[in-house]
Amino acid sequence: MKKLLLGTAMALGLAGMAAAEGYKIGISNTVQGNGWREQMVCAMKAEALASGKVESLNIAHRNTDAAGQLEDIRNLIQAGVNAIVVNPANADGINAAVKEATDAGIVVVAVDQAVTEPSAYILSNNQEEYAYLGAKWLFEQMGGKGAVVYMRGAAGAGADNDRDKGFKRAMAEFPEITVAQEVFTGWQQDQGKQQINDIIAAGVPFQGVWTSGIDNVIVDAFVESGAPLVPIVGADNAGFVGQLSSVEGLQGAAVTNPGSVGGAGVALAIQILDGKAPAEKTVLVNPELWENVTDEGKAKLAAAANPNLSPEWPVSVSIPGWTNYTMDQIIACKGPGE
Amino acid sequence: MKRWIEANTWTLGLAVLLAALLLLTKLIQPDFGASGLDSLARAALPFALATVGMAIVVIAGGIDLSIAAMMAVASVTGAVLMDGASDGQSVVIVIGVLLLGLAMGAINGALIVVSKVPDIVVTLAMLFVWQGVALLILNAPGGGAAAWLRALSAGGVPGIDWLPRAVVFLAIVTAVIWIPIRRSKLGLRLYAIGSDPLAAFRSGVPVGQTRIIAYALCGLFAALGGLSVTMSTGIGEPIPGPYLLASVAAVVLGGVVLGGGRGGLLGPILAVFILRTVRMDLTLLSVDPNVAAIIEGTIMVAVVMFGAVLATRGRKT
Repeated sequence: MKKLLLGTAMALGLAGMAAAEGYKIGISNTVQGNGWREQMVCAMKAEALASGKVESLNIAHRNTDAAGQLEDIRNLIQAGVNAIVVNPANADGINAAVKEATDAGIVVVAVDQAVTEPSAYILSNNQEEYAYLGAKWLFEQMGGKGAVVYMRGAAGAGADNDRDKGFKRAMAEFPEITVAQEVFTGWQQDQGKQQINDIIAAGVPFQGVWTSGIDNVIVDAFVESGAPLVPIVGADNAGFVGQLSSVEGLQGAAVTNPGSVGGAGVALAIQILDGKAPAEKTVLVNPELWENVTDEGKAKLAAAANPNLSPEWPVSVSIPGWTNYTMDQIIACKGPGE
Repeated sequence: MKRWIEANTWTLGLAVLLAALLLLTKLIQPDFGASGLDSLARAALPFALATVGMAIVVIAGGIDLSIAAMMAVASVTGAVLMDGASDGQSVVIVIGVLLLGLAMGAINGALIVVSKVPDIVVTLAMLFVWQGVALLILNAPGGGAAAWLRALSAGGVPGIDWLPRAVVFLAIVTAVIWIPIRRSKLGLRLYAIGSDPLAAFRSGVPVGQTRIIAYALCGLFAALGGLSVTMSTGIGEPIPGPYLLASVAAVVLGGVVLGGGRGGLLGPILAVFILRTVRMDLTLLSVDPNVAAIIEGTIMVAVVMFGAVLATRGRKT
């Protein structure tokens, strides 16, 4: 108890010292220990630091459900933050607290996924375009005909629904492409690998694989089983990007899905606090495609690879036009006052 | 009076600790007031209901690892059925969900009694079963909740603004279900089978039947907990929230002995509020989130160890 009081007194002292001018920004995230989300949080910290306008970050970052996120957002309101950047647990579940925040004059920016509460701003990767871009490239690579293995994300997730729309749009443009197998990987490495092993073992004929970001284990499965490689599309996770340069005979493409969208969310929140609100409440970040077939694509892949990055992180660490931090700042993962 | 204080030292200690924490919160955040209490109470509600359910089975000498999964089943069932239902229909739905909770709990209890497999194994297996059932009902967050139901736990009581409705809701629900049971023969039996099942059996207590009732009550409170999640979010979530471990922690912190037979419900409920206040203070102080989890755990261990020291000292004198 004594220690607790001492710690609290120290923390109070620190809070007192930091009471200079500048914005106080709250962050709420409900998935801990996932490379993409960790990059997102580091991008938020780095952007807050690089902007020079943020006095302190108040981060609620733990594994919980929508009810827990309601608690976190309400605690952030109690903490008196100027803006809250949130990666919502789901689109509807946290609306009540988001409304309470905006009613209290707090700017709320939802990143990565949307919320349906209209008073919030949304800054998200364009997931429909993500799937369309990769699928279109894959179908062209397959010569416009053949069967594709369609390895989706988690059933019912907002991002998965959007990606499905993009994939279907590309399918419609290539009438001779059929789906050999459709599976949900749940964005779990082990599950995805088991599924592709089963598909290879079953001898279902296919000419290409589209994945929703569970990619490097799919390449591993081909290499380990000795099955002939087909074109594979994945996300820009460091492991897969490395394989695109190193695995003999692999044709593939990485579509960017930057976790640094979190940094862009902080940048947007600061812009709105500065009085420069965007005309639209929803801002979409468009993905890029890096393939290893042309020299131009190979150069992009080489430029993106960075040995200092965690292998679990997406290699696209910044979003041009939005984020202002340096590579060193995001790797350091330090916010203002740390 | 003196005897009452002696018998309830632990609970009183927790109440003092909670008051101290709330005072501390006021120091950290001078603006902390009615809205802060309200958000604290709303956050605590599902945890508190889960903890009450868990406390009852633990008092009866068991444990229910499937509690969070049962909450998910209740939450999605309520949310799916209430989506677009009228107020009248939603009353029937709420009653139906509560009965479903009783039934789920009774199934857990019956499996333990009939199969004679340890409760920890049976409820672990049922955790997966109820998880699957929840996903089968709703494979992604969705559904709706009746407006009157959502209003039950939102905001303050009219006239007494600082008193959160969530606290009143929790107090009424728990009192209405638990006090009659505690005062009846059934209450005595629940404690008896937790304390010493063999002695209880020899004294003529129907051990199996009482155990099934304990689990059914746990299921009922799990259903209330699941409904409270739907009340606060307005939707149903098929993936269980972090309620299992949190409820076990609050039960232990609340002074219920894990072997069974001793403890009440007030202590665990106070413990839930203490844990939620600690979480709130850590957010207010913007403590590094990874460190925050360590601090939460450390406080829990420290308080329980402190209690154990007090208990041994009390026995010596």
